[in-house]
Amino acid sequence: MLMDGKKLLYDKYFELLSFLITSARGLFNEPEIYGPLRLVETAEKLLEIMEEESISNRELVELKKYIHENIDTVLYGEEEFKKFLDEVVKRLALIIRSEVKRN
Amino acid sequence: MNLEELPDKARIVFETIRGRRSIREYIDREIPLEYLKLIVEAGLWAPSASNLQPREFILIKDKDLLRAVKLVSPGLSGNPAAIIVLCIDREKASKGGRMGETMALLDVATSLQNMMLMAYALGIGSCPIASFDKLALKTILDIPEHVEPVLLLSLGYPKRWPQPPPRKNVDEVLHVDGW
Repeated sequence: MLMDGKKLLYDKYFELLSFLITSARGLFNEPEIYGPLRLVETAEKLLEIMEEESISNRELVELKKYIHENIDTVLYGEEEFKKFLDEVVKRLALIIRSEVKRN
Repeated sequence: MNLEELPDKARIVFETIRGRRSIREYIDREIPLEYLKLIVEAGLWAPSASNLQPREFILIKDKDLLRAVKLVSPGLSGNPAAIIVLCIDREKASKGGRMGETMALLDVATSLQNMMLMAYALGIGSCPIASFDKLALKTILDIPEHVEPVLLLSLGYPKRWPQPPPRKNVDEVLHVDGW
């Protein structure tokens, strides 16, 4: 039973869980590029949950926005999609680096 | 070719075909049932091999069911106002012989295009989705064993009409009078 009485259907964690399980099965039949696509989609969903639960900061909000606005590069071919993922990794690394330096 | 030189009907058809986009973000607005039925009817007017018409359609408008289908469909983005599940009836398709199932899939494909164009002409966005879990969908919607869900079509009023991804030029793919 959920604490606030809302249906499990609308719970963000349940959504993520369903996405992961159905993606795991679906990827056997889908194009290879959908593997990285589903993972970065998972990252976007996780960033959304973190934002809702205030486990976020300006950089993470911007990272989520960047993913959301550029994920369609998957339609432009593998090289474009790789460039997009490289940029996501770079932004993540900058966030990690700033956390290391933070006192 | 200059579209302005075309007869009105040809120009409108071509502009409709070229203007349609796959929509992955929708605003929160219901689609009238008569529009949804018209979209399905447009699908029925697509050609069907041997006129077997092995196509079946499941319209989902209920909010909880829309959510349930979304949960088992990794390829479904946004929150559509409706989803139509395009199915083939294997028993009807089997009457088409060895090619029956292949032709039934083609029937669904041609229906899909008609439906997306009809939706677009009504100002409604759509997106075809193959990335969904068939077993989960059949369980959630009580789809009988002999009916196979092939595609989902999400429908809703779009948040925006996106730019089209690159398309090949006709001269790259057209071979006249032989390869």
